[in-house]
Formats: sequence, structure tokens, C-alpha cells
Amino acid sequence: MHLAVAMTSTRDLENLLKQSVEGNMDAFERLYNATSAKLFGIVLRILKNRAQSEDALQDIYVRIWQKAGDFEPGRASIITWMATIARNRAIDIVRRQRPEADIEDADIETLIFSDTAFDQMAAADDMRQLEHCLNGLEDDRQQIVKLAYLEGWSRAELADRFAQPVGTIKTWLHRSLRQLKECLGT
Amino acid sequence: MTDRDDIDILAAEYVLGTLDPAQREAVALRRGSDAELDRAISEWEARLSPLNAHYNAIAPSRDLFAGIRTRIENAAQTASQHVPSIAEFAKLKRRMAAWRAGALGAAAIAASLIVVVLAGDVNSPMQDGQFVAVFHRDDTQPAFVMSVDIETREVTIRPVEATVPEGKTYQLWIVTEETGPKPKSLGLLENISNPTTKQLGGFDPAMLRDATFGISLEPEGGSPTGQPTGPAIHGRLISVAH
Repeated sequence: MHLAVAMTSTRDLENLLKQSVEGNMDAFERLYNATSAKLFGIVLRILKNRAQSEDALQDIYVRIWQKAGDFEPGRASIITWMATIARNRAIDIVRRQRPEADIEDADIETLIFSDTAFDQMAAADDMRQLEHCLNGLEDDRQQIVKLAYLEGWSRAELADRFAQPVGTIKTWLHRSLRQLKECLGT
Repeated sequence: MTDRDDIDILAAEYVLGTLDPAQREAVALRRGSDAELDRAISEWEARLSPLNAHYNAIAPSRDLFAGIRTRIENAAQTASQHVPSIAEFAKLKRRMAAWRAGALGAAAIAASLIVVVLAGDVNSPMQDGQFVAVFHRDDTQPAFVMSVDIETREVTIRPVEATVPEGKTYQLWIVTEETGPKPKSLGLLENISNPTTKQLGGFDPAMLRDATFGISLEPEGGSPTGQPTGPAIHGRLISVAH
């Protein structure tokens, strides 16, 4: 179904979004076909619940349709812009109440399909730089930042996992974020 | 620690996702009025978004797009009953961006919830004497839409995308020349899942036309002081009448 993904460039996606602003639902469906697997990957990894993730994904695309006129190509890449909308929604949901997991990480792994187009869209330099700076953090600090960002873990969940008071986790997060910012120099 | 550090770390944790729900809601509200916070959030999104490459693509069920189409159509239908269509929202948003960049300057629009009054010039189905105000929580998402019928002096507030934090309520305010510089309460928006209608019989229609409306987040039962106390979410009215 998503075989067309690899053929879709950033510019193609931007054009589809632009047509969506004008109310072109067919263009929006093509945008959905080209991007939904990536956004679903984000939401499912955070929510770990297939039904809730599919419900959230539908909401996310309604938002993308409604916000399409706000996208500014100069500010962020279109896929980053869409991923931010998806991640924000998933985090909002998981912060209010973590859904009961109905899928294991190992099962999620089996669902992954190759989607190199998206990885190439992420600026490789930016990614290398961020990885370099993350590697500069102590091991457990690096882990908490990644668990928070990628899996949507709360301070309390992190405190549990690392057997630390919540206040300590908060301090670790703040220090790590400041250190990252300094390292990135942006 | 300076205020700037506080704002930066708040933005960082907002983007990271570790704020609790009430804090997230507060930050989302505040970024509309706080350019520094908004900028800090965008910068943190840029810093951390390379991590998105760690997310793998996973195909959702095949039939989801039909549901999305239905939700979009339903949302548009609800909105079109009394307010401009989604496409018109997009136009409004572009105009607002233009004003911000333009002569009015940031100071004139210092408030977070921007109120736009439409005088029926956007091909809208509005009749004469009907105005629409869009309350924006941030640059992008309309939070409330208010229609004002000058003839009957009735305002109707429809939530578009507003949630109420636990123990809080939204309160509607008006500032007119007649009532002086202090906002006057028009009452609470008790049930934000439904439209609320308020009668403004005491106001002169000409005054209403130039009024500033605002919505603030207050403790349950309304502002304890008679003035807005919550997050600064009331806005200066901008008229786009020709």
C-alpha cells in the first residue's frame, strides 16, 4: 500500500499539502498515503495500543488538514512539522492516561517496514550532531532523554525505572537538556 | 536562575514531553501570548527533532482514511453552521500573520487570544450586523469562535478546540469605551462542549462593534477578584472591516 513512499520527495509532499489547503481531498489522501506509516510509527511507539493509536492518527490528520495553511517551508521540513503534530498529540494522550498496552515492543519490531525515504529527509548532519551531543551525556541521562522523547515516558515512570526520586529525575532532565543545548550551540 | 532560563527549560521539557498535563496545557495556552516561549519551543523542536529518525514506519489499518475524511467533513459542518468554513479560517490566519508583521506591530497585539472581527467580507454567509471573532490559543489552532449579532445583541461562543484543566473554568470578558479600561465579566463558559449564548442587551450596538472580547482561564466559579486573573488570554479586538 505504501510502496509509493520511497518515490515521494519533500517537494512532492509540500505540493500535496498546498493543494490540501485549497480543499483538495484527493491530494490530502495522497499525502496521507505517503506519510501515515511514519506518523503511525511515532504514535504506536508512544501509546503502545493499536486501537488508540489508530484513533489518534485520525485526529492527527484532521489537525494537519486544519493547520495546513500554517505550514512555513522555511521553518521546518514538512515531515518534521507533521511529526511534531503527531508526537504532540500522542504525548498529550499518554500524559493524561497511559493506555493499556496491547502490543509489545518486540511485536512492533515485526511490523516495521523499510522506509528509507524518511530517514534521508532528516538532515544527516543535524542527526550526527545530536547523537554526538547525546553521547556526551552520562549513560543513564542519555537513556532518560531518549525514553522521554521517543517513548513518551513521564518523570514518574522514569523515576520508577531508574529507582530515583521524581525530583532527582527532574534535575537530571534539566541538566541534560542544558548540556545538550550547550553542546549543540544553537 | 533567570526568567529566561526558566522559559527555556519549560520549553525544553514541553518538547521533550515530560511536563504533567496541566503544565502542558498551560504552556500550550501561554505560547500564543508569549513570543519568547513560542520561539524557545520552536528552537527545542529543531534541536530534538533529529531523534525522529529513530521512529520506524509502521502501516496502520487500510481503511483509516475514510474515517479521517468523515471527521473532517463533520468538523467543517459543525463549523459552518454559524462560523466561517475551515478554508476561511486559513484565510483569516494568513491575514493575522500579515497584521502581525505589518503596521500594527507586536505591541498592539500583545495578548494571546487574538480576537478577529469579520465584517462579512470573506465571502462568508454572514448577514449585516453579524460579526465573528476567532479566539486563537496559539498561532495555529482556533480555540473558540464567537459570533456576535449586533441587531439582537447576542453573542454565541463555540469551542473549536478547547479543553478545561481540572478545577478551572473559562470566563468571557468585554471591554468597551462605555465601560472604561477594566474588563467587565460577561459570565462563565460553563460547559465548553456546547455553545454558550450570552445576551448583551445592556450594550449599545455601536459600542459592541468596537468592543474587545476576551476569554480567560479562571478558578472554578469564576474570577475571585472580578477581573481576569488566569493566564493572559484576552485579546485586543482587531477589526478587519474593509
